[in-house]
Amino acid sequence: MSYDYHRPRSLAEALDIAAATPGARFVAGGTDLMVQIHKRAAAPAALISLRHVAELGGIDNGARLRIGSSVTLTELQAEPAVAAGYPALIDSMRPFGSRQIRNMATLGGNLCNASPGADAAPPLLVYDAVVELRDRAGAREMALEEFFVGPGETALAPGEVMTAILLPPRAGDVRSVYLRKARVKMDVATVSVAALVEMEEGSCVRARLAAGAVAPVPKRLRDTEGLLVGSPLDDATIARVSTAAADEISPITDVRSTADYRRHLTGVLLRRALERLRAAPGEGVL
Amino acid sequence: MSKYRHVGTEAQRPEGADKLAGTARYIHDITVAGMLHGAIKFSEHAHARIVHIDTSRARALSGVRSVITADDVPEVRYGFMRDNLVLKKGKVRQFRDEVAAVAAIDPDIAREAVDLIEVEYEPLPSVFTPEEALAEGAVLIHETDAAGRPRTSNVVPLPCRHASGDLDAAKERTAHVVEGTYTVPRIQQAALGTSGCIAEFDRNGNLTITTKTQIPFLAQRDFNSILAALGLEGRNVRVVVPAVGGAFGTGLDTHAYEYISILLAWTTGKPVRILYDREQEFAYLSPRQSASMFIRQGCDAEGRFTFREVDVVQDNGAYTSWGATYPNVMLVAATSLYRVPAVRFDSRIVYTNNTYCQAMRGYGNPEITWPIESSLDDLAAAAGIDPYEMRLLNSNQPGDVTPMGLKLATCGLTECLDRTAARIDWKEARGPERRTARGVGMASLINVGGGGKIYASDGSGIILKLDDFGHVNVAYGGVEMGQGLHSALTLMVAEALGVEPENVHINETDTATSPWDVGTHASRGAFMAGNAAVMACEKLRARIFEHAEKVYPAEVERNLARLRDRGEDVSPAGFDYTSVTRDRFDLQGGRLFVVDAPDEPWLQIDLGRFLRAVHFTKEGGVGTIFTEEAFYEPPTELPDWDRGIGNMSASYTFGVQGVEVEVDVDTGEVRILRLVAVTDVGRVLSPQALRGQMYGGIAQGVGYALYEEIKTEEGRILNAGFTDYKMPSAADLDFPIELEFVETDDPYGPFGAKGAGEPGIVATAPAVGNAIFDAIGVRILDLPITPEKIIRALREKETAVAGAGGG
Repeated sequence: MSYDYHRPRSLAEALDIAAATPGARFVAGGTDLMVQIHKRAAAPAALISLRHVAELGGIDNGARLRIGSSVTLTELQAEPAVAAGYPALIDSMRPFGSRQIRNMATLGGNLCNASPGADAAPPLLVYDAVVELRDRAGAREMALEEFFVGPGETALAPGEVMTAILLPPRAGDVRSVYLRKARVKMDVATVSVAALVEMEEGSCVRARLAAGAVAPVPKRLRDTEGLLVGSPLDDATIARVSTAAADEISPITDVRSTADYRRHLTGVLLRRALERLRAAPGEGVL
Repeated sequence: MSKYRHVGTEAQRPEGADKLAGTARYIHDITVAGMLHGAIKFSEHAHARIVHIDTSRARALSGVRSVITADDVPEVRYGFMRDNLVLKKGKVRQFRDEVAAVAAIDPDIAREAVDLIEVEYEPLPSVFTPEEALAEGAVLIHETDAAGRPRTSNVVPLPCRHASGDLDAAKERTAHVVEGTYTVPRIQQAALGTSGCIAEFDRNGNLTITTKTQIPFLAQRDFNSILAALGLEGRNVRVVVPAVGGAFGTGLDTHAYEYISILLAWTTGKPVRILYDREQEFAYLSPRQSASMFIRQGCDAEGRFTFREVDVVQDNGAYTSWGATYPNVMLVAATSLYRVPAVRFDSRIVYTNNTYCQAMRGYGNPEITWPIESSLDDLAAAAGIDPYEMRLLNSNQPGDVTPMGLKLATCGLTECLDRTAARIDWKEARGPERRTARGVGMASLINVGGGGKIYASDGSGIILKLDDFGHVNVAYGGVEMGQGLHSALTLMVAEALGVEPENVHINETDTATSPWDVGTHASRGAFMAGNAAVMACEKLRARIFEHAEKVYPAEVERNLARLRDRGEDVSPAGFDYTSVTRDRFDLQGGRLFVVDAPDEPWLQIDLGRFLRAVHFTKEGGVGTIFTEEAFYEPPTELPDWDRGIGNMSASYTFGVQGVEVEVDVDTGEVRILRLVAVTDVGRVLSPQALRGQMYGGIAQGVGYALYEEIKTEEGRILNAGFTDYKMPSAADLDFPIELEFVETDDPYGPFGAKGAGEPGIVATAPAVGNAIFDAIGVRILDLPITPEKIIRALREKETAVAGAGGG
């Protein structure tokens, strides 16, 4: 359990070290990677800390909301622009680990870890989040949906680092919510869902649904959300949506839950999420 | 106002400040010069023949000082049935079997060396449930017993049964019967302080082991056998207990890691420490047993119990610990919770290739109370009686002698029932006005409260030593492990001797200095310590007063002289202090005085001054110092387990828990809205410690009811760690827990107190289960009651209703 530890001061330095160090891994908060290392589930040759790379911090509310990848969850929770425009993301932070974990863990780390149940993923999926990736050759942008490849697998190329999460501006009657269930309060999600609807004259003109821990990756429910567009949020529509989601997810049975219960819970949470959006512009309840 | 000066007061816990500041020394904080670090190679199979162990790469690793397998050290058998080998020879019987061990100069090297040990196995057929293990032709987990006699089945030969009353006649009188098979899972004790020890030998071959244990003296006896195996028979074993961060029963047996640290200390000649981290604690330490319990009980038309039948099957795992005697304790509630005229109890404990199990808080009682109290509510429903009324009707009463022969000197069950019902608003909460999917439930408990005799002696010794300054040092063999033993003992010594609590100091538990004690378990610590302390304090007081006759007049004259020096006019007239006899003295708050004139300052002698006066006598006198010991053996019987008869405890603690829940019928989640626990503890000794015991026990009870379960796949533990072994945290215990105590002043208890360490955990699960039944009309028989089980049960209920409607 020995490895070199690098503490670059700039992004360029971090990328140079990565290019020169085979088997190195980037580490930000370390709340997941360090646990894996201690359990011997990961054995990187070197760690490159991103905690002192200034370019990766900070939240910039420009044309798009730009969240630096090493912004901690605690910082994110305290950001008025996030609370105002992206409440489901705030909702997803509340049950995230513990306060101590949130003080260390970063938004970029949560996404790059690519857990199927990553708490931040479903809300970011419904907000059409884009991630910015950079290596020594330059930067590229990618829809978050494409970023997740499989459990623990992402589209990051070797030596590439996530630099920011970009959220499109909010306009119109957009309502969003995040709901999750877990075995106890401090736990990874058994199932999580995020829902977003844009309403016009009582009818849904745009819909986004996403679910966590029910597929190999945090999953945008494209087919299911299509059922909402052009419909009012009435009981029949909501019932149809909550039933249809079962066909679009592929939950597994593991030590935390069963496929059957996860499927059931996804339907219940989607129904509750949509009922909540019908009642009032998005405010999450845990 | 209390008749006691210290007992029952809100005193600070004596060890609390050090624990809060992080200065208490747990095993993890202790290092010894030259110490090596031990690590263990565990089995990778549930049942397999060991073909070959290659340790060559481990031995070659720099920093490794010793690598041992069964071939390198004498064979050491251990365990309650001596069916376990410290290092396995021939075959492994469970995933966590110890096959080799390493001592190295640092823990990482030790672990690395363990990884370099290669073991070749030949897998054997395995059994993972008692049913499989009992099936005809099932593979034998142990081919022979400890004495080498061939075994013919996987049943552990520990009979425990009971039959009383005329069962057939009782069934004739029965109007309503219910039955069911209830199960409880393996769960982790999950103490905050993980396991560990340091073993070291001196050059004379005497062993000192500093270890997290609840049984220092039985451990001493166990470790004598390893000294014998090492050719050191007759050498001394000293067991020292450091600060303990919770044990909950894990310290009731000696463990392979302790023997291995001793073996490594012997092979290296250095102190060796072994510590488990959290994941190892889950994977390699024995959890609480799983059990399956069939119950059938009946009542007459009025709701009086007529009979109860119980059949217990317990999964022992691959080896046998003290935990295999759970049925002995199950007998208490099975025969004696409520007045039941005819009882049959049978039990079987079965070897499997699962992890072997051990004791945990309540020791069979939370298990057996789950079916008894759950099925009571079903029986009440069948009889059309309110379950609270049914409990009242059948409540035990003081003076009862139960079918097991338990003598209930005191019994506050009826009062506990009434106070619980009042506090939880029983009638209203079950009434027509209640909200959908809300319900209340209650469950009662009986627990040993005056020791629990399952060993040749259930006694405790104590030594009280007074120093020259009026401080009392207490040597007691019981273990403070977070439960508050030292709080209660401090107050009782202060009370019984007549000193202030801050002058009472309880020594670290050490077999070299503490007198014998059977162990800290069965809610016995404060009960035993208090009774022994009262005996020793009486001896001390008698000797103090005897010597007071001699030194008192001179000391009073010193008082008078001092007062006169200060110019105060004190007239001793009217009181003859020169010839006070020993029966007229008293000691309170560290001041010696005469009962006939208790308030005169000049007639009071500071205890320290008095002790010095007796110690350092004037010319020609013979001085003395004050040390007294006592040994308390409770007036109990070692039961005849084949008949299940015997008064195994001096006192019995009763209690009731009431719970209100709300069930989310869409998700199956259960939310506890409030919990009331009323417990007959005889007397409250230390309110702070007692509340801690109750809150902690209830938290564990909530975990048992709703969340906790060790999940296994073919004997391998899947959730070894807090990531996937879920216990309730403070955030989950977000409901009011209301505690009340009934003081029945037990004649056998110190100051009337009965043991209270375990009751908190005993009745929670059935109270929660009964509340869920009241809320949504489904009963889950298998703990824990997960949302998933509730959804499944609700669906089955719907299907049954629809089916009935359609038919």
